[in-house]
Amino acid sequence: MALSTHTTHSGFLLPSIHSAEPFFTQQPNPNTQRIVTEQWSRLILSYARHRNLFSIRVEDAETAGSEWDEILRNERIKRRLLPSHLSHILSEMVAKSQAAYEPPKQTRIVLLYWRLPEEWAEVLHQWVTSTGQLTTILTFYEITDPPVPSPLSGLPLVLLRKAIGILAKTGRAQIISIADGEGARFFAGTGK
Amino acid sequence: MALARFTKPVDGTIPVPALLYDDEDLVTSQDEVGIYDGSAKSPLHQTGALTLTSHRLFFISIPTPFDSFSLDLSHVVRTDYYGGLLRSSAKITLHLNVSADDKNDSEGPGEESEWATWECEVCGNRNGPGLSPAKAALCSLCGVPRSLSSSGPSTPKTLPAQVRTSLTSTLLPALPARGTGPLTSTSESGTEVIACPACTFHNHPSLRVCEVCATPLPLPALSIQATRSLTASPAPSAALKSDDVSSIRLSFRKGGDKTFYAALKRTLQGKAWQVAKEASSTSYTTLSTITGGVSGIMSAVQNNAQQRNTSMSTALSDLEALMSQAKHMVTLASELTEQIRVVEAKAKAEGRGSLSDGTEEGEAANFIQTSLAQLGLSMTNAPITQDMVKDERKWMEELTRELAGLLQQGEERFGNNWEGEIILDGSFGVVERKKSSSLMRGRGIVGLDEIWGGWNRARGVALIPPSTFLQALSLLPSYTSPPLLLRTFPSGLSVLHTPRYTHVAFTCRLSSLITLSGPHTTLEVAQEERVTVSLAGEMIAEVEKDGEICRDEVQVDGPFCGGRDVRWWLNVFEDYAWDGQT
Repeated sequence: MALSTHTTHSGFLLPSIHSAEPFFTQQPNPNTQRIVTEQWSRLILSYARHRNLFSIRVEDAETAGSEWDEILRNERIKRRLLPSHLSHILSEMVAKSQAAYEPPKQTRIVLLYWRLPEEWAEVLHQWVTSTGQLTTILTFYEITDPPVPSPLSGLPLVLLRKAIGILAKTGRAQIISIADGEGARFFAGTGK
Repeated sequence: MALARFTKPVDGTIPVPALLYDDEDLVTSQDEVGIYDGSAKSPLHQTGALTLTSHRLFFISIPTPFDSFSLDLSHVVRTDYYGGLLRSSAKITLHLNVSADDKNDSEGPGEESEWATWECEVCGNRNGPGLSPAKAALCSLCGVPRSLSSSGPSTPKTLPAQVRTSLTSTLLPALPARGTGPLTSTSESGTEVIACPACTFHNHPSLRVCEVCATPLPLPALSIQATRSLTASPAPSAALKSDDVSSIRLSFRKGGDKTFYAALKRTLQGKAWQVAKEASSTSYTTLSTITGGVSGIMSAVQNNAQQRNTSMSTALSDLEALMSQAKHMVTLASELTEQIRVVEAKAKAEGRGSLSDGTEEGEAANFIQTSLAQLGLSMTNAPITQDMVKDERKWMEELTRELAGLLQQGEERFGNNWEGEIILDGSFGVVERKKSSSLMRGRGIVGLDEIWGGWNRARGVALIPPSTFLQALSLLPSYTSPPLLLRTFPSGLSVLHTPRYTHVAFTCRLSSLITLSGPHTTLEVAQEERVTVSLAGEMIAEVEKDGEICRDEVQVDGPFCGGRDVRWWLNVFEDYAWDGQT
């Protein structure tokens, strides 16, 4: 019973563990389940990075047709991740700050941190620097939906705010309130 | 003249059920019956309804209700049946006992007290009217017979009615002495009613006190006697002639004689009047009819206690019978085993080898041994009891040895296979499976409950409590070979098992099974290991706890039923290294 990797339609390379039936079952043994959760977290995060996805809902495991189907279901072995199992995995991810409940105070939807907010801050600063927009005021919209696709395209506002907040702490950004919403100004270097 | 002597007049306008004693039951009744006094027709009683109760026979005359009468069944000594011929209708002849009648007459108080209340001299309970004579003679609360002398002293605090009662009861014993026959008082009062001396109201003859002013009435006993003679025999002189006749015939003009005769026979055999007498004197079971007041409560309590005692003693007697049966079985079993051993020794001496060599004797012996084992009765000697061994430690050791013998006896002979051994029968070439005769029955793992039950069945007497059993189990491995070990699963299930079923050995076997032939369900594992599904489940759960295996659970949705199917995998996660996209 050799397990093999598999490449999905979207070009994602599924790990061989994904074609093992027990991978889709919540194991009663805590040690075994720890490994299962670890592998699932890793799978979810790498898939999210691959597809540029930022959130996952427990409902995605319940109904077919979401963008997560490729990993939450394995039609070749007729297995799918049960919502209760996914919910458990997500809670573990939140505990390990690989994700956060967004909006807070619920456990159905999480924001995935396939990059940590600190990493996002660096990516943002790099992009601003590389596109020559330092010291100019940028609206959030201009950042998350630029005319030329960037690594920040589609970044949720919550995550963007966090990243700007982190930059502001080190003096590399400043949040400015403007007429039609909010904007930010970025500075070069590490201080004033 | 039997009619006059043995019957009592009743008011035929009152329905029969209202005339009954409290403890009297209706049995049957028949219309269109005529009465013969002796062999002659009794002119006044030719058309009427006959009613049979548990105590009495009522004749209710239809044209003249006041000529109705009742007859105590206790007087009847014999009955004859005449089927009828042509125009002569079917008849039942009742032979009446003269001496019983005399006795009853002398039992004045009993008869009179049908209509009166009286106070028991022992417990002071006031006994109400309406009981049958036998019962009325005893206090309903304490069962003490009513005494004549005692009635007197209680007068000061009792009602005038009681005064009257005591008076009459003291008067009455003198009555039979006064006259020779029952016809002594012909017409002393002359009327059927008693006029009250105070208010002149005409009272019913059965009353003791005036219905209007409660004044005691004069000589009611005498007036009753008179009434009886008057109603029963309007022609005293004619009746006198047939004094020696002591039989009454019932003539069934319109049939129904057969059923009535059957009922009469049954009732006479039942002797309800006697039963009542005995019951009231010995136990309180029949007194439940009296339910009022403190006496009712007390009798109910006593009743319950009595019943509880009875059921307890019967239940215990059953148990004792069972014990003695068990002893018999054990002796039988030990005798059989002894015989088998003798035969086997002889066979060995003759060099024929073991008993399973296909001879007739051998087969029989094997059969006996197997059936004994199945009954849990296979044992070589009588059970060890604590009084046989003084030392506590020694006793435990002996017990363990006995248990070990039960568990492994025959295992060596039949090999230590799981299911007994396949033995080739040389003469017929038949392959048959022989089960080992031990309690393990060839299995490698057995629940403690089964062993405990089997051991106690084998002992038959001096059963072992579970606590002692568990103590003996701790010593067991050193007395058994291969050692039988005790194992308790997380669910609390305890088993005894051979080394083959230790956790480590089982884990190895399970792992190799999965490695060799892929994932398995619990059911498949159970089949493979030849244990029950629940036992296999317990053992697998232990392995899973170690992380050696993992589960693949899948929801099965059938058309009629759904369920969870669990397949067991080796732990595929343990040494997994990420080989997907990074």
